[in-house]
Amino acid sequence: MSQQSVIKFSNVTVSFDHRPVLDNIDFTLENGEFAYLIGQTGAGKSSFLRLIYRDLLPDSGRVQVADLDITSLPDKKVPYLRRRLGIVFQDFQLLPDRSVYDNVAFSLQVTGEKKSYIKQRVVEVLGMVGLSHKRKNMPNDLSGGEKQRVVIARALANEPRIMLADEPTGNLDPEASASIMELLKQINNRGMAVLMVTHDYDTVKQYPYRTLKLENGKIGDIAMDEL
Amino acid sequence: MSLGYVVKEGMAGIGRAKLAAFTSMFSLFIAVLLLGLLARLGYNGYEVAQSLKKSIDVEVFLMDLDERTTNELSDRLKEEKLVQEVSYISKDSAAAVFEKEFGSTGSSLADLKFLPASFKLNIDPDAQISQVDSLVNQIQSYRGVDEVRFNQQLLKRIEANFETAAMMGGGLGILILLASMILVFNTIRLTIYAKRDLIKAMKLVGATNGFIRRPFVVEGIIQGLIAGLLSVGVMFVTFHYLLPEYISELGILEWPFGRWYYLSGAMVLLAVFMGFWGSQWAARKFIKKTSISE
Repeated sequence: MSQQSVIKFSNVTVSFDHRPVLDNIDFTLENGEFAYLIGQTGAGKSSFLRLIYRDLLPDSGRVQVADLDITSLPDKKVPYLRRRLGIVFQDFQLLPDRSVYDNVAFSLQVTGEKKSYIKQRVVEVLGMVGLSHKRKNMPNDLSGGEKQRVVIARALANEPRIMLADEPTGNLDPEASASIMELLKQINNRGMAVLMVTHDYDTVKQYPYRTLKLENGKIGDIAMDEL
Repeated sequence: MSLGYVVKEGMAGIGRAKLAAFTSMFSLFIAVLLLGLLARLGYNGYEVAQSLKKSIDVEVFLMDLDERTTNELSDRLKEEKLVQEVSYISKDSAAAVFEKEFGSTGSSLADLKFLPASFKLNIDPDAQISQVDSLVNQIQSYRGVDEVRFNQQLLKRIEANFETAAMMGGGLGILILLASMILVFNTIRLTIYAKRDLIKAMKLVGATNGFIRRPFVVEGIIQGLIAGLLSVGVMFVTFHYLLPEYISELGILEWPFGRWYYLSGAMVLLAVFMGFWGSQWAARKFIKKTSISE
């Protein structure tokens, strides 16, 4: 893996029921790069992300993430890999019985940070996503866009090098989607690599970045006009 | 990791999945209460058997012996391991007992002093019937001993009944323990399943499996503690108020070893241990299996 790349796939193959979902794939995401991963439902986009956060192991090939070879990473070390990643899902995965503040603080508590640091960092990341004023609210009091902002704040809390976003605008209206995209753009401008899975081509056209398409188990860069 | 966080989360966990936590506690409570009841009844059964066995004496009837030989024989009997107490009944005492038991009709016969002197032996109630048998045979061969008698049939019956009861009680205890362990472990597993979103979110942000597990284990211990204390409370009420009130002929079934805290402590410890072990086992299994992308 070069000094610049934060994710590197080398000849990666993943099959489910003897059907290859990812077929001998090579891929690199550079440090500070923003890239979209597009493809039809069932094309293997989620499996691709699962490989990165080690929820899935390849049948063959090598996956390297933030200096770690995840194919040979012991199970015990997987949490430490995930602390280097900010993961955002379409379905939010917030804890409904905890306030916005507690949902974000929780990601620092699990890594054993000190109380004073947690307080300072939570205020900081909630400020970054524009939700300082809603820190005492419960997730159910928030709109979809606000919930996704809390998820992004939680993902940012541990200062990861890579942000993985699986359809982060999938459940949102156009206005909320635009605000989330602006937020991801800001995060990327600060130097964090972002890999976003989407099938919202309008968003891809509106915020143009490197775009990769997964099709028939193969991955390749595509130009904007091919969308 | 902060211990405060683990304890706070463990306690809060009970409130977050109230029904599941209640089910776990209830199954722990029932399991420990049943085992406690069985232990108390079993102990009282054992005590009854022991007191019956204690009442069985071995009588050693003597030939006409001089005082020295009698004393030697007494010393020899006292040295026997199974013999707890030796009391000498002289010919006169035997006659007195005879007269007391048979009244005036017996008095003329008693004058004849035909009754032999004897030793009455109190035997260790824990002794097996076979041991008593061989002791009797052994004493029979002592010089100066005319005849040795004991109620072998009664002893046999007590021993056989007690063995049957002990086997049935032990078997029942093991069955209850196994059934309750399966019940407790599965209800704890449901409690943990009810919090799968929490587990997924924790895994997502990089919590180690140990970190995720600890609050569940603390929760299991707290549930065990509450269930154990409740079952002890129910034991108190049952044996001290309900049974004497409604089945007074049963009498008071004593706490084992005469102290309330031995069985109560064991019940609370058992409940805590089951809560700890059940939650440790279920959490370990479930956390390992949970995928963050499901």
